[in-house]
Amino acid sequence: MPSADPAGPVGPADPADPADRGIALVRAARRGDTLALHDLLDHLTPYIARICRPIALDDGPDATQEALVAVFSRLRSLREPEALYGWVRAISVREAVRVAKRAGRARPAELTDIPERGDPQLAADIDDVLARLSPGHRAVLVLRDIEGMDEESAAALLGVPTGTAKSRLHRARQSFRKAWSA
Amino acid sequence: MKESEDGNQGDEGGDGLLLDDVRRMRVMVAGVRGAHLVERVLPASLPRVWQVMGDLEGGFGEFQPDMRSVRVLRREGDRVEALALSRYGLRAHFHGVLRPGWCWLQSRFLVIGMAAVDEGGRTRVALTGGVRAPGRAALVPFGARRELEEAMTRLAALVTE
Repeated sequence: MPSADPAGPVGPADPADPADRGIALVRAARRGDTLALHDLLDHLTPYIARICRPIALDDGPDATQEALVAVFSRLRSLREPEALYGWVRAISVREAVRVAKRAGRARPAELTDIPERGDPQLAADIDDVLARLSPGHRAVLVLRDIEGMDEESAAALLGVPTGTAKSRLHRARQSFRKAWSA
Repeated sequence: MKESEDGNQGDEGGDGLLLDDVRRMRVMVAGVRGAHLVERVLPASLPRVWQVMGDLEGGFGEFQPDMRSVRVLRREGDRVEALALSRYGLRAHFHGVLRPGWCWLQSRFLVIGMAAVDEGGRTRVALTGGVRAPGRAALVPFGARRELEEAMTRLAALVTE
């Protein structure tokens, strides 16, 4: 499944399409057109925010800003403009995890405190379930279930073994199932 | 993006999805090498501050140190085209974007960026800009910070009159 289209919830037919607006803006910005850089900011912000928020939760705006700063300050290092969205996605996930950990919301890698059956109000709250996952677990969920990446790609992006990504995904999904059935 | 006459508040208290305009300006500065950002909280409301900053043919020329006069040639949505005359007699033909709380203008040789957001009844203002370096998204850093500081000081005086 291709990466999501920054302009909307539906992914583009071909994310490597050289006529893609974001890719054209990157090319113009790298030639020195700061107005293109401005339009690129408008273009990428919703895409980056959609990745950062489920991982960084309340710190979503901080994570979005830091991901955008990282993207903009490294734009010249992007070798192939066609790789824009994958590159932006990788930076966004890493920045969101970093911001979430820095904010002290990091949880132990192994889930031990998922919502209990006896606490239906808590368990039914999707944000609360998310908040009880570690940033690393949330990142796997976002990459696999929102961005549509396979486990191998998600693991490579996060710098963890595939088995770890699979395990995190299983536990994260399990916590949601328990929450919904509580 | 959530916008109103009082500017883009970033919707950070709502969906938490978007950034307010000062945060956006910090991102722009990260993308333009050599660009400086001058930020200050001014003791005036956002509508009052933007009344000055966003008035390209009026208040804008009064606080931007190098602008003698500005004439808006065209506006279409948030896109704007303007002709500016510097106090040294140089002309600058700007193209850019003007929204409540946000302005980004670019001519062949110059860039001007302005943002303003409400901060508890006062206004956080961010200014950037300067002379473009050819062929890349960069500004000539020399002297820019002093000019930006001067612009901020003039703006503060104007909005607290």
